[in-house]
Amino acid sequence: MKPRDLPVVSAVFEAGADDRVFDSLLLVGPLIIGLIAVFGRSLATAAVAIAYITVFVGYTLYRGVRT
Amino acid sequence: MNRAVATVGRDLGRILEALGGLMLLSLVVPLVWGEYFALPALLVAAIVPLGIGRVLYRRFEDAEAPGRFHGMIVAASGWFSVGVFGALPFLLVAWSVQLGVPGFTAPAQTATLAAFTEPLNAVFESMSGFTGTGLTMTDNEEVLPQTLQWWRTFTEWVGGVGVIVLTTAILSRPGSGSLTLYESEARSKKIHPSIVSTVRTIWWIFILFTFVSILALWLAGMPIWGAINHGMTGLATGGFSITDNSIATYDSVAIDFVLLPVMLLGSIAFPVHYLILQGDLRNIYTDLQTRWVFGYMGIGSALLWAFLYFGGPYETPFAALRYGLFQFVSAATCTGFQTAVDATNVALGKWPSHAQLTVAFGMFVGGAAGSTAGGIKLIRGLTLAKGIRHQIADVFYPESAVRRLEINGRRLNEEAASREFMEAAIIVVLWIAFLVVGTFLLLVTLPSGEYSLANALFEVASAQGNVGLSSGITGPDSLPTVGKIAFLFHMWIGRLEIIPVLVMLRTVFKRGGLYR
Repeated sequence: MKPRDLPVVSAVFEAGADDRVFDSLLLVGPLIIGLIAVFGRSLATAAVAIAYITVFVGYTLYRGVRT
Repeated sequence: MNRAVATVGRDLGRILEALGGLMLLSLVVPLVWGEYFALPALLVAAIVPLGIGRVLYRRFEDAEAPGRFHGMIVAASGWFSVGVFGALPFLLVAWSVQLGVPGFTAPAQTATLAAFTEPLNAVFESMSGFTGTGLTMTDNEEVLPQTLQWWRTFTEWVGGVGVIVLTTAILSRPGSGSLTLYESEARSKKIHPSIVSTVRTIWWIFILFTFVSILALWLAGMPIWGAINHGMTGLATGGFSITDNSIATYDSVAIDFVLLPVMLLGSIAFPVHYLILQGDLRNIYTDLQTRWVFGYMGIGSALLWAFLYFGGPYETPFAALRYGLFQFVSAATCTGFQTAVDATNVALGKWPSHAQLTVAFGMFVGGAAGSTAGGIKLIRGLTLAKGIRHQIADVFYPESAVRRLEINGRRLNEEAASREFMEAAIIVVLWIAFLVVGTFLLLVTLPSGEYSLANALFEVASAQGNVGLSSGITGPDSLPTVGKIAFLFHMWIGRLEIIPVLVMLRTVFKRGGLYR
């Protein structure tokens, strides 16, 4: 069984962006927000949030440059 | 049974089912926050639209697909019903606290929550939320139960994209009927040939941007609950806040500046977002509306900065820039977040009249068509401006000259140009007509001498443009009952761009035999 066959994951891949990076960001987003809600503000949670935004902005620009 | 009633009833049923589903989903919030007293209220609030929706859908399941006329009636009646039934959580939670729920410990009643024991206040809040307006009947949002803070936020977030877009995405029904409904909700451009794919694409873009907005606000220093709520309402260009003084509560330059791109994202059309995310970055400047989102915000903010610095209340160029830029973008994107308040600087209502009118003009024009923003929309303003220039220039050409009007890369012939110009003009004329009538009505019903004409005009433009900035008139006690009912109407027509509501009212009055 592949990860993308799991219930929620398959729904996101089916109705989502048809792009592995954006689909992954859609899946990981609520987990990161949940992580922050549970553990609060720390270096680790801030690093994860920065990484999320960097991947989103960087990937969008990368696609723009590549096209 | 009248075929139109069957078609409208079936689709209205679907919308109410979706609304009930949203309320059921929101049951998570009182569970997480330990507000168990709100559970029965929210459950009952969910069951009512869910039950009525189910009955309507079952009864008219085999009805015909909607035509243009039905689409408009469904959109108008659907948004009205969502506003009314969406008030149930406010009303029932407020009464749960007022009377107490056997077996549950309820907090002490507050004046803010008690305002929602009045059904009209609850409907006002719900309509303001779903239409993305942000005018509120609360005195102090901070004392509301988190369940209601969430429900306010959720209504704006869903309403920003559209109730029908939501219904189509969840209860997908391919075919021309869905397209008609989609177009009736003030949207026209499709992203994919299939309407179901289009609305699902809109949703994944919106959800992805929501996560990014929440995390950016949290990184800027906002607590996570505030970031979740303001990220959602900022992106939806709704403007509800969970704090008493809106964004001014945080008094943070970083938060102010992080919210600017969040609000701007909400005012750009979804098809353009899609192309940009696909790597076609040129759309930022090749798309007419997107180009003007930045141009218009830039010019408006610069003008407001000049008014506030050279002739106004701020002493440093940076303070004028910070508050002027934020308030113009907040107004022109129709968000309604406020940083100009007396607690930290100078309240918007105390700005010079010309500065207030500049903000009001921003609310009037609004953001791009096909975005979450309100107002008459940039494309209409641009169509009118180009059309007028085209008409005037026509005098200087020989009668035999063949001229084309170019709008957003499309070269329109005489007939098409006239049609588009006429459509834009009708909306703008109606918009202004309702603005004038609403302002007059408000001035008549308000206590004499308490508010100026500029205040009243600002407030009505804010309601009709689905903005939510207030000059201080809107409130549970300060706004008279007639004003509340009028504002419900302004918010409703503003969200649907007037025509569907007028079509529905004409149908009700004419076919209902009221003026035959």
